[in-house]
Amino acid sequence: MKREYGKKLLIIIPAYNEAENIERVVDDLIENYPQYDYLVINDGSKDKTADICERRGYRFIDMPINVGLADGVQTGMMYAHRHGYEYALQFDGDGQHDPKYIEKMLARMEHCDICIGSRFVDEKKPRSLRMLGSNIIGFTIRLTTGKRINDPTSGMRMFSRAAIRVMAKQVDYGPEPDTVAHLIRSGAVVEEVQVEMRERIAGESYLNFSRSIKYMLHMCFSIMFIQWCRPKLKLKRRVNL
Amino acid sequence: MSLILRVALVVASVCVFFFVMKKIRRAQLNIDDSIYWIFFATLILVVSIFPQIAIWASELLDIQSPANFVFLFISFMIVIKLFQVSIDCSVQKHRLNHLVQKLALLNYEQEQINKEKEKEQTLIEK
Repeated sequence: MKREYGKKLLIIIPAYNEAENIERVVDDLIENYPQYDYLVINDGSKDKTADICERRGYRFIDMPINVGLADGVQTGMMYAHRHGYEYALQFDGDGQHDPKYIEKMLARMEHCDICIGSRFVDEKKPRSLRMLGSNIIGFTIRLTTGKRINDPTSGMRMFSRAAIRVMAKQVDYGPEPDTVAHLIRSGAVVEEVQVEMRERIAGESYLNFSRSIKYMLHMCFSIMFIQWCRPKLKLKRRVNL
Repeated sequence: MSLILRVALVVASVCVFFFVMKKIRRAQLNIDDSIYWIFFATLILVVSIFPQIAIWASELLDIQSPANFVFLFISFMIVIKLFQVSIDCSVQKHRLNHLVQKLALLNYEQEQINKEKEKEQTLIEK
């Protein structure tokens, strides 16, 4: 396939059973942010997500089976890489993320490889069980990389071309805090931008209590122990930061 | 538990650690799947360093020697893993078949489209 160059930003929207939300999210992007390209990844949804995308003529990739968030986002990264996008943004299909912060994040990308849309740069973390989990993951990242990440579990992350390349090609580089930690150890510059997130309007969150605990333990284990035996990568930047 | 068995268990678990690390480094083993093996090796290591655990457990379960408990425990862990792998294998089978079916359908549809195009082409040529 021939590569095209010069495209700026691809918004990757992974969607699994988001029939109730996807229209609102994508229509908002099309109407108010036509300067950005988007790509919906329908991850083998059992509901009408694919039908809606088809009917509305959205740009979407229809996974024949459910492959999970990591591989879904990786598909988007492969697309971004093949089409020569400068930046890629991981953007939830449930309407939690607000596209008005994209510009602010884009502006930061000149100085970093990964920009996290963070809820807690200027604002204080509320005290809840979920935030305790977030704190623990943040602590393990700080312990192993020395870098302070206020909101490691935020799912709104923007990646530079160098990071896209890694995310598209490597095995086990899911869009999760452990990958961010590993990329920091590989020399990636990570910054955070204050954003606000909306509460989910419709549908059910994937993370219930036991899944949250499992997720947190998994992340901590991966960051604390596994990362040490993974080979460090070299980020191929065109411009040194 | 004899000293020689304990040393053997320590060596074995250290070997497991290194082997798992090597496989992760080469990206042949998922991080998800590695957790079980590291957990497994850690347990063996703990039991060989603190044989009191095995002695206590063997008394509790009325097993003659602590070494027997260790064997029982390891085979139990292996059975659990085997069951898990068996489930995974079934799921993979379904997924693979599903993919093949989709591919076959797509191929068929593509061929139909090609045939129609050919027909149109010949009509135009006539």
